[in-house]
Amino acid sequence: MKPILRILLVLVLATVANAKDIKLLNVSYDPTRELYQDYNAAFTKYWKAKTGDEVVVSQSHGGSGKQALSVLNGLAADVVTLALAYDIDALAQNGRLLPVDWQKRLPDDSAPYTSTIVFLVRKGNPKKIKDWDDVVKPGVIVVTPNPKTSGGARWAYLAAWAYALDKYGHDDAKARDFVKRLYRNVPVLDSGARGSTTTFVERGIGDVLLAWENEAHLAIKEFGGDKFEIVTPSESILAEPPVAVVDRVAKKHGTTDVAKAYLEYLYSDEGQDIAGRNFYRPRSEKAAAKYADQFAKLKLVTVDEVFGGWQKAQKTHFADGGTFDQIYQPE
Amino acid sequence: MKVKSNELLTGKPEAESTNEQYKHNMKLSQLILISIAGLQFVSPAWADDGATTNSVSPAQVAPAGSAEAAEIEALKNEVQELEQKVKVLEQQNARKQTAAADTNQEQIQALDQQVRILERQRELDREDAASAAKTQPRLTVGANGATFSSADTNFAVSLHGLVQVDSRTFQENDNVPGNSSILLRRARPILSGTVFRDFDFLFVPDFGNGTPGAASAASTPSIYDAYLNYRSSPTVQIQAGKFKTPIGLEQLQPDAYTMFNERSLVTDLVPNRDLGFELHGDIAGGVVSYAAGIFNGVGDARNSSNIGFQDNREFNGRLFVQPFKQTELTALQNLGMGIGGGWGEASTTNTLGLPASTGGASSSSAGYFTDGQQQFFAYTNGVMADRVHWRISPQGYYYYGPFSLLGEYVISDQDVRNGSRSASLHHTAWEIAGGWVLTGENATFNGVTPKHPFDPRIGQWGAWQVVGRYADLDIDNAAFPFFSNPAVSASEATAWAVGLNWYLNRNIVVKASFSRTTFEGGGQGTGSAASSPPGSVTTHPEEVFFTRVQLGF
Repeated sequence: MKPILRILLVLVLATVANAKDIKLLNVSYDPTRELYQDYNAAFTKYWKAKTGDEVVVSQSHGGSGKQALSVLNGLAADVVTLALAYDIDALAQNGRLLPVDWQKRLPDDSAPYTSTIVFLVRKGNPKKIKDWDDVVKPGVIVVTPNPKTSGGARWAYLAAWAYALDKYGHDDAKARDFVKRLYRNVPVLDSGARGSTTTFVERGIGDVLLAWENEAHLAIKEFGGDKFEIVTPSESILAEPPVAVVDRVAKKHGTTDVAKAYLEYLYSDEGQDIAGRNFYRPRSEKAAAKYADQFAKLKLVTVDEVFGGWQKAQKTHFADGGTFDQIYQPE
Repeated sequence: MKVKSNELLTGKPEAESTNEQYKHNMKLSQLILISIAGLQFVSPAWADDGATTNSVSPAQVAPAGSAEAAEIEALKNEVQELEQKVKVLEQQNARKQTAAADTNQEQIQALDQQVRILERQRELDREDAASAAKTQPRLTVGANGATFSSADTNFAVSLHGLVQVDSRTFQENDNVPGNSSILLRRARPILSGTVFRDFDFLFVPDFGNGTPGAASAASTPSIYDAYLNYRSSPTVQIQAGKFKTPIGLEQLQPDAYTMFNERSLVTDLVPNRDLGFELHGDIAGGVVSYAAGIFNGVGDARNSSNIGFQDNREFNGRLFVQPFKQTELTALQNLGMGIGGGWGEASTTNTLGLPASTGGASSSSAGYFTDGQQQFFAYTNGVMADRVHWRISPQGYYYYGPFSLLGEYVISDQDVRNGSRSASLHHTAWEIAGGWVLTGENATFNGVTPKHPFDPRIGQWGAWQVVGRYADLDIDNAAFPFFSNPAVSASEATAWAVGLNWYLNRNIVVKASFSRTTFEGGGQGTGSAASSPPGSVTTHPEEVFFTRVQLGF
């Protein structure tokens, strides 16, 4: 046998011998089901071509806060792709499942795509909802999940608060009253964004859904533009859903390398394209340009700018006894 | 002058007025008729936009410029005014109706929203309840006892119990005081459970018949089982503590499910509970079961004490096969056969190395006992277990429908010493036992579950089973006379028994049985040796009638 053939044979045998079946669990928040179904298929193909290993990625979805709690309680997530940084901070601080500086490990503070909160209303917009002021009017029924358990709900809450601060010259008391009026119009609090979409879209409850932008587009895509329409408020919040490897679990499973690659591939051209295709705002200029037409232009504020970061926002608004607890009185 | 009402209206005297009034009325009547006729012909277009039509109008009926025509015109105007008023009223009414309909619609929509919201809240409440239930501890109480477990069942504690109230009535050989009795044979609260999913435990004290190895009259609470079992998988499990030694088939059958009140002579030759470590498991879904362990080592039919300071150990194991368990051959699925055995060395300091003293005259009277729990063979005082003790027990059972059959053979080969004399005694025993459930339920190694639990109000009477057994225990002749007194101890006991078991339900069983045991040897004692076991027992065949009321859960 010629030397080159021997080398090839050895390489093939080595590849076959080393080929592994790898299982990854991605614990994510509610509206990313479709995104990661697409993405997992692409990554599996990519990883197989690169290493010869078969990767089976399982998904778990729910309210972001709830999901973080599940991971803290033992749900063996190799990676988490949650709605907001605070929920992953909790894994680092309370569970020591990953380092506290996890956000620095990937570009854009480990948020490979962004989104925002928009309004989904019924076709014809019967309540003439144009901006946040219309949402707080008496008689308007608003659907949004529980900020205690849902990341999307926390983004929506802060978006309303930020709008009110701008409107009332940064008067916190007036902003608080504004948001209080908003939640007075919320008759049902689902635990996650997908539940709220069900409430609004399938159960026919409410005049407006405070929705993730991608979730609003998906609702229209799935249920038709003849039933719903998207209203973009004048101002909203820049939602930056982050991703991270859960080091301790991945190490235990022996999946650290593939878990890292899984998240890094989100920043690739293909990963960014998949994000845009699923109505997330891609970070890459190329994908952002490609999908620019599907995203309305609006003023977007960040949590850091307006609320001093997630830690502070969480403590002030969503911790037990925080502002949300004070203003929301369930009927 | 009196002015009449018509004058006020017309300004003319009454007579004149009356005449003119009549004419006027006639004209008016004609005009109205014409108008009505005209309206009927022309009303749609006329009423709507006043467009000219080809229909006949009231003005065309009367000559132009006449008074009648003027009147008609006036009346026409009046009619038009009236029509306008009617139109206005109709429009007002329509607006009111529209407004009312709109209001109703809004109210309906608001109510619809409220209903939907309530329904959704209920749905969410149910989801929350289902979600909460997954994390809430569970308490279950039933025929299998009470279990309190964590939502994920990784932690569980179960409380079970076994209470057996027996009577023994001896017939012919009732010359031993106290043998006939009503007694609390077993009274065991049983605590079992699981921690961290894979670790099981069992704790069984007994407040009934007494300390293991003690004379039958004793009744000191003691620990029967206390062990921790680690389940790596069903195939590989490690158990540590005090539990039944894996040798005898009948011994391993749970106390609540034995066919008769007491186990047979064959169980005299196998150890009961011992302290040790055991590797065990089921392979291929129970087709093969194995157990092997190292134990302190105890004499035949003995329970270990909770501590045993001795240097020697005993190795025991058992392999049991149910080759058809996972096949479609239902008639053979519960055919099982196996072999148990053990080997160990005992030093003369091991006070538990000889058989149990059950039924003996004193707590040191080691020996073997009958179905009636009377000792028919006793080692002479001073005999000690010495060096090797091995046992082997081929065994098997077969259960099919209401039929049950269980057989076992045991060799217990024990080296003994009495002073300077020693011997290797080769005792053997065997039994065959069978049963038939008269009411058709399946018989199993773990009892009978009645199809129709006892409830006379609806004509249900539980399950009934007849049982029979034959057993024999042969003492090595080398035991006599240096290790046992042949005048009082039998060299062989043979017993048969029949019984009727009534399973009222899964928890309550009533049993009645008769057992007869005959002896070879013995029965020749004199003096006190003749009046106490084993001399008193071997004088005549033992005939005893048993009853039992059992609660097990």
